[in-house]
Amino acid sequence: MTFFSANGITAGYGRQNVIENISFQLAEGCLMGIIGANGSGKTTLLKALCGILPHRGSCTLDSVVLERLSSRKIAAAVSYIPQRSGISIDISALDVVLMGFNPQLGLLEYPTQKMKQAAAAALAQVGLAGKEEMNYLQLSEGQKQLCVLARTLVSDSKLLLLDEPESALDFRFRYQMLKLLRQWASKPGRSAIVTLHDPALALNYCDQLLLLSDGGILGIIEPKTDPLDKMEHMLSQIYGCVSLRRCINRGGQPCLVMVKEEEQ
Amino acid sequence: MVIALAVAGLFVGKYPLSLEKLLSGDAMQWRVFLTLRLSRTVVGVIGGFALGVAGFVYQTVFRNPLASPDIIGVSSGASAGAAAGILFLSGSMAVTASAFAGALLAVVFALALSGLDKSGKNSTIVLAGIAVHSLAQTALMCLKLTADPERELASIEYWIMGSLNGISVYSIGGNMILCLVCMAVLFLLHRQVILLSAEEGEARMLGVNVGGLRLAVLLVATLVTASVVSLTGLISFVGLLAPHGARLLAKHNRISTMLLSGLLGGILLCGADILARSVAATELPVSIFTSFLGAPFLIYLIAGGREKV
Repeated sequence: MTFFSANGITAGYGRQNVIENISFQLAEGCLMGIIGANGSGKTTLLKALCGILPHRGSCTLDSVVLERLSSRKIAAAVSYIPQRSGISIDISALDVVLMGFNPQLGLLEYPTQKMKQAAAAALAQVGLAGKEEMNYLQLSEGQKQLCVLARTLVSDSKLLLLDEPESALDFRFRYQMLKLLRQWASKPGRSAIVTLHDPALALNYCDQLLLLSDGGILGIIEPKTDPLDKMEHMLSQIYGCVSLRRCINRGGQPCLVMVKEEEQ
Repeated sequence: MVIALAVAGLFVGKYPLSLEKLLSGDAMQWRVFLTLRLSRTVVGVIGGFALGVAGFVYQTVFRNPLASPDIIGVSSGASAGAAAGILFLSGSMAVTASAFAGALLAVVFALALSGLDKSGKNSTIVLAGIAVHSLAQTALMCLKLTADPERELASIEYWIMGSLNGISVYSIGGNMILCLVCMAVLFLLHRQVILLSAEEGEARMLGVNVGGLRLAVLLVATLVTASVVSLTGLISFVGLLAPHGARLLAKHNRISTMLLSGLLGGILLCGADILARSVAATELPVSIFTSFLGAPFLIYLIAGGREKV
């Protein structure tokens, strides 16, 4: 059953189209990764999907066409995390998380005590317990990303769009973040799309991978089921010559490992 | 501290007032108290508060620590309006009204200009403001040229320097009410003001109607400024300094920081006014003292902040 679909999305800046005619479908409870080289249009695609960037084509979420909704209704249904949050004033981490409740609040309403508790719980969930009163600007880049992730987790949205949420995180937090995203997306009535640079994360945590190249779709792979040679072939078009191997971790779970080969 | 300064403001001045004489019901004392001192102190406190709050809002919305209410031309609009008032109208009420009209015109013009650019960036508003600012300055210059250098030019210059002198109980009512109403709106909207400080796309995805809200907030903040500046003339530094002071003291941006910013503004303007009328034999422009008190205070805050790190 299709939960979210993009139909013929074309968008760009000024007159230059960065992405052209992108269409794909996403099932409920799925985590989709978008991978591609720098400048392939990953960020542009995400911005077009949530309507920040003017675009042609349409997006359907849960049988509702997003382009017909007011921006406030879109905000209530879709959450978007930019690569870097633009927050540039002194503000506490808890207040940043509380911003996530804004779509649920009226213009003059203030967050309730319950919301504050939920926000503190979300901070604890991403590993920032006890940092509620810290100044957001004094957090490390990775902590900022976690804080903004917490802001997204408290919102009651159906679709999560994340632009390289793991870029400033260390090894351990990367895996923790993707695990959190998986958990979040697997609940009914939700899906998430995330652009990633790290193929190891993408291959092992995403249900589907959308491969972007020069503003178009190179292909879609499903890491759990697709044959290795097909995935190797497609990933090599993005990263140059690579090899894929399946192996079993200590817990007995299969996982994929990608190795860069020497170019011939 | 605000209250202490306000009380001091009530009793400092050329005409000596004392509590005993007031209590004993001296008619002259009461007249000076009610018509001159009280209104002056009210404008000092509320006006300073307003400039502080407006400055806080501007700096937050523009995400620029150098932003102040002057940035979109409100002060120069008010100056040009006041100059026109001094030249063509008579009476202090008319000058105030004309300054207010000038300020309003400048702001509406600046915001309308920025509306021409559909992308609605912050920088467009600033650029439009700068354009309007220079236009108003040019208009002011033309008006100055036509002014009679003996009397009119002097009073234009004096108006621009800013002073709480000549404010009487009869002229402040409308402005102060407008100012208070607008400030109440700003405080009610404060959560949205903070949200506007996020990046544009981000704010939109948080459910903020960025374009409309920003316009509304700026308009209200500017109305606040206009209602003060049209009474007092230009007052430098309060709108810039008070929010910085508040943030350095509070370390956060919350409703309390906005309040603190207002209080600091009130302290600064009230204190400056007291000095302005007591230091020299003649009244001095209040801006001299807002800068004079403000600059060292800012330096102190910066230096103090560094030590703690």
